[in-house]
Amino acid sequence: MSEKKQQVSRRQFLNYTLTGVGGFMAAGMLAPMVRFAIDPALQPQSKGDFKAVAQVDEITNEPQRFDWTIDQTDAWYESEVTKSAWVYKQEDGSILALSPVCKHLGCVVSWQGNSDYPEQFFCPCHDGRYYKSGENVEGTPPPVGLDIYEHKIEDGTLYLGKAKPREGA
Amino acid sequence: MQWNKKDIEQYIEVKEYVDTLVIPLTPFTLNADKEMVKQASQAELMEIYAKEIERQFTGRILLLPNYTYQTVNETEEKRLNEWINYSEDNPFKHVFFITFDHQWKKVEKGIEGNLIWLPTISISEIGSQDSVKLIKEQVEQVTELIKSYW
Ligand code: FES
Repeated sequence: MSEKKQQVSRRQFLNYTLTGVGGFMAAGMLAPMVRFAIDPALQPQSKGDFKAVAQVDEITNEPQRFDWTIDQTDAWYESEVTKSAWVYKQEDGSILALSPVCKHLGCVVSWQGNSDYPEQFFCPCHDGRYYKSGENVEGTPPPVGLDIYEHKIEDGTLYLGKAKPREGA
Repeated sequence: MQWNKKDIEQYIEVKEYVDTLVIPLTPFTLNADKEMVKQASQAELMEIYAKEIERQFTGRILLLPNYTYQTVNETEEKRLNEWINYSEDNPFKHVFFITFDHQWKKVEKGIEGNLIWLPTISISEIGSQDSVKLIKEQVEQVTELIKSYW
């Protein structure tokens, strides 16, 4: 029985990989066209949106925290802002990068932050909890799951972009 | 949450969740050059610490503006205690003063809130890799300490 299960997941994995490659090629073909379509004023911004955060081979099945800084400019100041993400490899091999910012009131959550809930993210402020997938645990303060970072991988390096709320959130 | 319009407007909506005040204590001198340099660099460092602590606990901490003073004396000590009474009425459960100034350490017993005294780290460049690591470690210790009071 367990063999069957494994087969399925292997097929899923293959499937995923193939779509991944296909998608990648399609993106390659589309990119030059899209580039023309985008307003030139937007280009530098979209380029600078992604930051190198980790080497892909450092990433395991266990969520790990990575920190990096970005330059943020408002009308008066340019300042360095620290960003963090919890990053791990999902069962299908794809990478998930979660924002550590609690969706209740914004404290920083940590993986296994409370020994009573070993397989969850924990928020120390009001005991908010999230499953490994980042979805919120019903009955704790957060109303929705953790935001997910856009990511891309180039030459074995993981780049993260903006953290986006989940669909339907 | 920080002492700015956006955060305070949010604070007003969710007061019951924010039960902890953090107030940085930063001394200033105007007549001793060396001392001024030291204090100014500690003030810079304090800003980093305070912001970082606030970032970890945004939803439960209100970070007030720095309190500046010349020397630690009875008047200052009394003032701190007045704030504690005031903030407990309004209605914060925990008040943390955070400082590099060791003079506070001596009067700690007389202060009714929690004093977090940090030994200064001497770093030549605040942005360097080593100092970032050091600061992170210290901040982690402070956040652990604060958590232990909750
Ligand atoms: S801020 Fe995370 S539970 Fe309230």
